[in-house]
Amino acid sequence: MAQFHTLYNAVIVRGPDEAGIELPPGDFARVGTPLQVKLLGLIGELQVLPTYLGATGIMSLICGFIAFEIIGLNMWASEDWNFLRFIKMLPFLSLEPPPAKYGLDIFPPLQEGGWWLMAGFFLTVSLILWCVRMYRRAKAIGMGTHIAWCFASAIWLYLVLGFIRPLLMGCWCEAVPFGVISHLNWTATFSVRYGNLFYDPFHMLSIVFLYGSTMLFCMHAGTILAVARFGGERETHEIVDRGTSTERGALFWRWTMGFNATFESIHRWIFWFATLTTLCGGIGILLSGTVVDNWYLWGVKHGIAPEYPQVHQIPNAPPPEVVRNMQLKGPPPARLPEVPATLTPNAPAPGPAMSGINQ
Amino acid sequence: MKAWKTIALSVAAVAVLAAIVVVPEWHLPVQGHELGWRASSMIQFDPAPAEAALLKRPPAAIPSWSHDPRPADVAYKNVQVLTNVDAGELMHTMAAMTQWVSPKQGCGFCHAGSDYASDAKPAKAVARLMLQMTRHINADWRDHVGAAGVTCFSCHQGQPIPSDVWFAAPPVRQHPMIGWQEDYHEDELTVRKFFPDEGYEEYLLQSTPGSSQSYTALPTHSGSSQVVVKRLYEVMMQMSDGIGVNCGYCHNSRAFFDWRQSTPARWTGYSGIQMTRDLNRNYLIKTGAILPQDRFRLDKAHEWNLAPDQAGTMPGNGLSNCATCHHGEPKPLGGANMVDAYPALIAPSPTAPAKVAAAAAPVPR
Repeated sequence: MAQFHTLYNAVIVRGPDEAGIELPPGDFARVGTPLQVKLLGLIGELQVLPTYLGATGIMSLICGFIAFEIIGLNMWASEDWNFLRFIKMLPFLSLEPPPAKYGLDIFPPLQEGGWWLMAGFFLTVSLILWCVRMYRRAKAIGMGTHIAWCFASAIWLYLVLGFIRPLLMGCWCEAVPFGVISHLNWTATFSVRYGNLFYDPFHMLSIVFLYGSTMLFCMHAGTILAVARFGGERETHEIVDRGTSTERGALFWRWTMGFNATFESIHRWIFWFATLTTLCGGIGILLSGTVVDNWYLWGVKHGIAPEYPQVHQIPNAPPPEVVRNMQLKGPPPARLPEVPATLTPNAPAPGPAMSGINQ
Repeated sequence: MKAWKTIALSVAAVAVLAAIVVVPEWHLPVQGHELGWRASSMIQFDPAPAEAALLKRPPAAIPSWSHDPRPADVAYKNVQVLTNVDAGELMHTMAAMTQWVSPKQGCGFCHAGSDYASDAKPAKAVARLMLQMTRHINADWRDHVGAAGVTCFSCHQGQPIPSDVWFAAPPVRQHPMIGWQEDYHEDELTVRKFFPDEGYEEYLLQSTPGSSQSYTALPTHSGSSQVVVKRLYEVMMQMSDGIGVNCGYCHNSRAFFDWRQSTPARWTGYSGIQMTRDLNRNYLIKTGAILPQDRFRLDKAHEWNLAPDQAGTMPGNGLSNCATCHHGEPKPLGGANMVDAYPALIAPSPTAPAKVAAAAAPVPR
């Protein structure tokens, strides 16, 4: 049976390599000889390379590599350069921001957050340069700059977490560590500390846009795939020249939910949902600790958090006799008691004193 | 060809689905209780029957066989702690202690040969300290242990060292250039057991305040810093793991700080934290002075049952946390009454703290 061959069929279109348009004077040359990879052809474009790095791309890769190395080598070194331990402990290893005592000092000791500041600096430069590069490449091809702005929204959240909010709080220690488990712990404790982030309206918006993005993504991609047999993959063309695939897609949604986006507006829906996810998330984080200290109480104040009937009649303050019984006797131990010489005349030196006890 | 492929794929899919159902160990049915207002997710799950069957229960109380009405310190030499009971009750308590702590090693675990008055073995000084601790708990910590009380078995369960203890961290070797890593328990299987022991030191030995959240909607500097909350969060997770509950057993997780939305169990837990601090500070840390050596010097003579993470060079036999006594149950040993059959394990209340400190000093050889 005859089939309309589209990008969504497993048909690989082979042709002469695309060399790209002439670059304006002053630009770097493109890098790499084109090659054709059949496996990539199954999921996307057959042709790989050439790519354009340019000044911003090269600088971004160098800065990203430096950040990656600082984080990785710190972690490896902290396992005494034991590679197997390094791999095994990778989820647990962390590069922590400077402790509270250094405040916003930009030159704390290397082992106490100095490396973290350096890694953060280079990673930030790398991300921003990559964003600039996307902006400039889009301009060079004559495209709109939507992608760069969407990426900038993600960078905004990253900067709020690691730079802007710590600045406002007056301490690098408020920032997120680099590490798998350590950043998850940071996230959990951040929500607990600020009285449950679910009551933060910007967190709510961020979640709406995040889940909304995935839903819209699925609705749109599903629609296009479903009308691909009628030429629907030419969706951008059909924005201005509605064909039968547009009509059928629109009809489907009008019949199933009474309303349909157009082939143009659906892309705006998805673009803004995705961009607003991190934009709102960043605002929600930025307000925590700077403007609002307990989102639950803030929610109570503004009628978001309902009052539930009290199930257990326990008082809001401890009964005096309980408090009296719980008074600890004596000050906390300064350090381990000295070992009397009479007890163990021939014993080896006592074990190491407990660290941290007198901190 | 195509049909063959379809059949193979179907068989593989069915096999994978079957493995998902058959391979894991299922503990069903899981019974849950709602502890708060409906839909507040304050749910406590019962252990499944198969799990419940594995839980330890206390041994039957030993009947008191010796009826010697003389005061213990008159009948026996060098009695320093059990001075308020008669000689018969002292023997009864000693027999029970052997069964609870050193069933394999017998009396000789603490006593030197046939001279029961001798203080030659350091383990005897530790036993004295632990006896004082048990009597102190049963007399002065009713807020936490209630009428059930505790005996040596509550923690030891037939082993010379309880299975769940922790050690204060040895000094960190600080490299001049490289930061310090948390000491995670990377060999454990669940997230709550991963967390490092640092929080125990801050909250179960030191008097670090437990507050984390603000009592006001807007910033008034009443909450703790993010770094402090991280440790508190870890300790709360370890606490939940130690007593086998979720956050909702004590707290309404939407407002952890709010006592009015909490359950009465939060008071019990709060007193438990205070009690554990007291025990660690005033009793357990002192075992380090009695057993200053690397613990294995003492260990080698006996059959110890040590977990790998308990090996180390810290003096003493470790400090306690919730799991030391609770062993993962909300009420240790199913809430069984421990102390009624052993009157010698209750000190005349209240125990004078000064007397405890003096009596806990190591005994010369």
